[in-house]
Amino acid sequence: MTRNTRILMSILYWAFVIYLFVPLIMMVLMGFKDSNFIGFPIRSWTLHWYTIVVQDMEVLSIFGYSMIIALSSTVIALMIGTWAAILLGPTKFRGKMIVFALVCLPAVIPGIISAIALRIFAETINLSPGTLAIIIGHTIHNVPFVVLVVIARLNTQPISHIDAAKDLGADNLIAFFRVTLPYLKPALIGAGIFCMLISFDDFVRSFFLGGYEPTLPVYIFSQLRTGMSPVINAISAVALLITVIFGLMAERIIRQN
Amino acid sequence: MPINNSRISASDSRGFWSWLSSNQSYHSVSLFLIGTHRKRFIFLAAVPILWALVANFAPLLKMLEISFYEAYPLSKGREIVYTLDNWVEFFLLNVYTIPFLRSIVFSIILTISTLILTYPIAYFLAQHLPKSKQLLYLLILLIPFWVGEIIRTYAIMILLGNRGLINLILQFFGLIEKPIPFMYTYFSLGIGIVYLTSLYMLLPLYSILEQIPKNLLEASADLGAGPWTRFWRVTLPLSKDGIASGCTLVFLISMGFYAAPVMLGGPSSTMFSETIAGHFNVAADRWPVGAAFSSIMLISTLVIAATFLKIMGRGGKGIIR
Amino acid sequence: MKSKKITRRGVIKSGVATTVAVAAPTIWVPTIAASQSVNVWTYANFIPKDFKKEFEKETGIKIRERLVDDQGKEFNLLAAEKNNPTADICTVAGHRFSQFIDSELIAPLDTSRLKNWSTVNKIYSESDWSVVNGKKWGVPILSGAEVMGYNSDIVSKEEARSWDVMFGEKYKGQTALILQDMMSIVMLYLGYDGNMVAYLNDPAKAKSIVNEARDFLIKHKDKVRKYYDSGAEIQQMLINQDVVVCHAWSGSISKLIMDGFPAEMTIPKEGSYGFIYCYNIANNGPNTDNAYKFLDALLARPEIGANMTKASGYISTFKGSSKYLTDLERRTSSFTEEELAGLQFFRAEANKMKYSLVDPAVEVIKAA
Repeated sequence: MTRNTRILMSILYWAFVIYLFVPLIMMVLMGFKDSNFIGFPIRSWTLHWYTIVVQDMEVLSIFGYSMIIALSSTVIALMIGTWAAILLGPTKFRGKMIVFALVCLPAVIPGIISAIALRIFAETINLSPGTLAIIIGHTIHNVPFVVLVVIARLNTQPISHIDAAKDLGADNLIAFFRVTLPYLKPALIGAGIFCMLISFDDFVRSFFLGGYEPTLPVYIFSQLRTGMSPVINAISAVALLITVIFGLMAERIIRQN
Repeated sequence: MPINNSRISASDSRGFWSWLSSNQSYHSVSLFLIGTHRKRFIFLAAVPILWALVANFAPLLKMLEISFYEAYPLSKGREIVYTLDNWVEFFLLNVYTIPFLRSIVFSIILTISTLILTYPIAYFLAQHLPKSKQLLYLLILLIPFWVGEIIRTYAIMILLGNRGLINLILQFFGLIEKPIPFMYTYFSLGIGIVYLTSLYMLLPLYSILEQIPKNLLEASADLGAGPWTRFWRVTLPLSKDGIASGCTLVFLISMGFYAAPVMLGGPSSTMFSETIAGHFNVAADRWPVGAAFSSIMLISTLVIAATFLKIMGRGGKGIIR
Repeated sequence: MKSKKITRRGVIKSGVATTVAVAAPTIWVPTIAASQSVNVWTYANFIPKDFKKEFEKETGIKIRERLVDDQGKEFNLLAAEKNNPTADICTVAGHRFSQFIDSELIAPLDTSRLKNWSTVNKIYSESDWSVVNGKKWGVPILSGAEVMGYNSDIVSKEEARSWDVMFGEKYKGQTALILQDMMSIVMLYLGYDGNMVAYLNDPAKAKSIVNEARDFLIKHKDKVRKYYDSGAEIQQMLINQDVVVCHAWSGSISKLIMDGFPAEMTIPKEGSYGFIYCYNIANNGPNTDNAYKFLDALLARPEIGANMTKASGYISTFKGSSKYLTDLERRTSSFTEEELAGLQFFRAEANKMKYSLVDPAVEVIKAA
C-alpha cells in the first residue's frame, strides 16, 4: 500500500477513536459537575462525586460482583461456543442449519423477551433467581457470539495442519488442543472480550434473573430514576478506570508471551 | 526434559501433550471413544446439541406456548384458552407492520453503514500495523465500549442537544444563530447505535483480515496488480467470511436494540422492539401478544440472516458449509 | 535466566483474587441466611440506610431491598414469579392497581394490623381511589400529579395556565409528552372523563372518546419533539433546552427545581390527574408478617417521608414530614389551592376497558 493510503487510514483510525472516545470524555467530565444533573455548561466543578464513589464500598463490591459474573459467563461461553463451532464448522451432517439456528437463537431474541422467557423457565426447573441464574442467563446470551466469531476463524484453518499432527501420532482430540486451539487464539480473545462486554453491560437479564444483589447496570438504572446525575457518571468512570487497568495489564502479559 | 526457566509453563504443556500422544492407554481410550467417524460425531455433537435444546430452545418453547394463550399470567379460576388471535393481530393492523418493516430496513442500513465504516479500520489494524502494536491499538478501541449503554446514550444527548456541547461551540464561534436540533432524529439514532455496533463488526473483520498472508498481496503486486485490484480481487474475497460473520452479528443485534433507540429516536421512529416491550409492560392480557410478536420477529430475522449467509456462501465455501 | 516473577498465571490469579475479595460481600453475605427477613421491591434511596440498621436491631428482621425502576418491569417480574413469589412488598402506583390486582399479584391491606396507619394523611388514606372491589390496597407513601412542566425563562406563567400551549404553534417542535398518560389528560381537556368510569356501561361511547383523543394527538404530532417515558429523559430534555414545555410527572420537574434549574410546574386550568405510590403487600409473599412490621415501623417515622420526597420529588403522604424539608423542597413539591381544585385522582375501576382502548391507540399515534 502506498504511503498516502497509509496516512489516510491512520487518520481514519484516529478519527474513529475520537468518535468513540468523545462520549467517554463527556462522562468523565460530568462526574466533576457541581449539580444534581448533567449537561452543559458546567458552571462549577467539584470532586465531591468522585470522592463518594471511591469511598463507597457498596459501589465497589457491586462492580466486583458484575466482574465475577462477566468472567464466569465468558469462560463457560467460550468453552461451549468453541465446542459448537467445531461441530458446525467443518463437519457435514444433516440438519446442520437447524442446529446452527438453534445455537444462535439467543442472539436474535430481544433482550426483554429472552429475560422473561428465561425467568419463567428457571421457575419450571426450580432455579431460584440469583448469581447462578444470572451467570447461566449471560452464558446463554454469549454463546452465539462466540460461535460466530470462532467459526469465521476456524474456516480459514488449513486442513494440512491437522493432517500433519495426525501423522505425528495425535488423535483428533490432541490435534484439537495442540493445533486448532492455538490457531483459534485471536478469535477466542476477540470472542472473550465480546462476552465480557455483553455480560458486564447487560441490564435486562440481570434484572429479571437476579436476586437482591444488583449488578452494576441494574444499580445504575435504579439510580437513574431520580435523574441522570453526576454521581452515576462518576461510578461509570471509576468502573471504566478499573477495567482499563486490568485490560492494560492483560495486554502486557499477552504480549510478553 | 530440558530445563528452560523462562518458559516453564509452555514447555510443561508441550511435554504433557507429547507424552500423551505416545501413551498407549490413552490411545486405546481414544480409539474407543472417538475411533470411528460416527463416534467422533456423537462426541462432538452431544454437548452443543444438548445445550441448544435445553438452554436455547426450551425457554423459547415456553414463550411460543404463551403466544397461543388468550391471557397470561392466569387469574384464579381461568383456564388456558388457546387462540391464534395474537398472531393474526400482527398482520391485521399496520400499526404493527410499520414499525416491523422500519426495524428491518433500519437494521439493514445500519449493517451496511457499519461495514463501510469499520472495514478500513479493521484493515488498518490487521495489515498496516506491526503485530506488536495491533493488540494495543485494538484495546484502545475497546475501552469506550466498557461504558454502559445508558451512560453512553446520555453522553450523546448532552453532546447533541440544543444546549449540548456541539451547539454551544457553534454558537460561541458565531457559526449559527439558533441551535441545530440534532437530537431525536435518525441522525442521533445512527450516531448512537453505530457506536454500539461497530465493535461487533470490527472484531470478526479483524480476525479474518489478520490471517491473510502478506506475501499473497506481494505476489499479486509482482504480477502487475494495482492497489485497487489487489484489494478487490484478493483481499475482499478472502475476507468474505469475516464480512458474513460481522454483518450477521450486527443485523441480529440491531434488531434487538431497545434502550438506545427509545431514548435517541424521534416520535416517528418507533422500532419494533419497542412495540414488543410495550406489550409486556402493560396489563396481563397483552403478554401473549408480545410473545407472538417476538416469535414473528424471531422467525423473520432468522430467515433473513440465513438467506444472507447462503448468498454469501455462493461461489465460495460459505461460513456454514 | 531467572524465571520471570510476573507470569501470566500469576497475574490472572491475583486479578481474580482481588475481584473475588471485592465482590465478596455481595455474594457471600446473603448466603448467611438471615433468620428473619423482609423482601422489599422499591425505588432507589427511598429507605434510609440508618433506618434499615435500626429496624434490624430492634426486630431482628433484615430488610432486603430489590431496586426497581419502573412499574412495567416490576409488573413483568412479579408476573414471571407468580407461582413462587419472592417479594413481600412492592411499590405500585395507584392507577396501575387494577392490572396488579387482576393478575393476583398483590394482596389487600389489613389496616387493623398497622398501629401507625393514622400517620398517613387522610386525603390519601380515606379517599376512594384506594378502594377497589371493596378493599383497601397498599399504604400510600407518595403523591404525584401529571403536570405541565416548563422552562420559566422562556415560557410565561400566563401561557402555562392552559394545556393549549402544548398544541399551539409558538412552541412547535419543542414539546414532549408521555403518550399513555397524556391520553387521559387529553380526554379531560376535550371535556370527557379521563378515568372512563362514567362510560363503563357504554363501550361504544368509550371507544369514540378514545378515538377522538387519539386523532387529536395525531393532528398535533408535529408539535412534539419526543414521546418519552422516563423521568430522567424529560429532565435532560429540559436541561438541554431540546424541549421548553412538556407533560411530565411532578417528581421529575420538582427535582429539577430543587437543583436550581429555572423550571416550573403547574396544573393547567383544564385540570389533570394525580396518582399515589403505595407500598403493597405482595400476594403469597414469604414473609407477610414481617412486611406489616416493616410498614408499621416506616409509618412511625415521618422523617422517612421527607427522605422519600428528597429522593423522588413527590409529596410525602406522611403527616408531619414536611417539617423535615427545606423551604425550597417544600415549595417545589406542593401546589396552589386553585391548582389542586383542578386535580382529580386516577381511578382504577375502568382501567381494564380504558387501557384496552388506550394502548392500541398509543401504537397508532406512534406509527402515524
